[in-house]
Amino acid sequence: MRIIILGCGRVGAGLVQHLSLHGHEITIVDSDPSGFARLAPGFHGRMIVGDVLDRQVLLEAQIERSDALVAVTTSDDVNIVVARLARLIFRVPRVVARVYDPPKAEIYHRLGIQTVTTTAWTINRISELISYSELEPIANVGDQVEIVAASAPPLLVGQPISRLTHPGESRVVAISRSGKTFLPQSGTLIEAGDLLHLVVISAALGRVAAQLRH
Amino acid sequence: MNMLIIGGGQVGSYLASLLLANKHHVTVVERREEAQDLLRRSAPSAHIILGDGTDPQILESAGVRVADVVAAVTGADETNLVITSLARFAFNVPRAVARVNNPHNTWMFTPAMGVDVALNQADVMAHLIAQAVG
Repeated sequence: MRIIILGCGRVGAGLVQHLSLHGHEITIVDSDPSGFARLAPGFHGRMIVGDVLDRQVLLEAQIERSDALVAVTTSDDVNIVVARLARLIFRVPRVVARVYDPPKAEIYHRLGIQTVTTTAWTINRISELISYSELEPIANVGDQVEIVAASAPPLLVGQPISRLTHPGESRVVAISRSGKTFLPQSGTLIEAGDLLHLVVISAALGRVAAQLRH
Repeated sequence: MNMLIIGGGQVGSYLASLLLANKHHVTVVERREEAQDLLRRSAPSAHIILGDGTDPQILESAGVRVADVVAAVTGADETNLVITSLARFAFNVPRAVARVNNPHNTWMFTPAMGVDVALNQADVMAHLIAQAVG
């Protein structure tokens, strides 16, 4: 695909790198050429210095022949305006704008512009991570599997640890009890004050946290 | 009529005073606290809202849903275009007027961007001068 990226900050430059690796033909535009220093030395696409709202600059970037446009400048207003222009005037088939302000993003989404709201995403992700606080992270195995520790919730006391076994998702691998840590068997009963060590795949962290919530 | 002006600098303040003199009901949204003095002096009976005119919640509290005309006259063209497209397409305001700051940006001020009338100071002056010398 021929892709135009507007704004060569960290996200713009990162996108250039990622999309180039996948064989796309990239044109990057920024009003400040110093941003181009972020690009990897092997970048073979076009770099254009200019105002992204300038019609000549957009035409020079061959907006009329492009398959996609991504607006990731530092200004929400510029990203929104140029995304709408790309859709309505230049008929670019795929247009995405980064917007920081969540209520604005919501409205523009309704007006037909695909928006990415990094602020809302960050807030959700951090809230998620905080709500898993019952699970103390111990180690990551690769990027999909985590070892976590959690104190035994009262509801599970007297129950076998198999209650926490979900095939392919989670299982208890060790228990610390009265100063000693041991490897349990599937029938081992949970006691009050136990610290449970679990292996969990990342996607199941929410479910496991919910099960261990008091 | 209900006039909603976004941008209360020199242009917005003057526009508000003219509209008030013509007995319109005027609300002005201005982001900068320091601009409020001028605004209050030139348009004492305007309803003034401190806030960002591209924020849909601010527009709602400024009465965008009952406005007959929205005038986007801030000093930034992209801001004016965000306001006109929100006003027209998200809030169904019947008429939107926008100020063009940079003459190079005139091409963007189209009905597709929610603009019914674009006012370009440089353009007006150039035409007047051309007439005067022609």
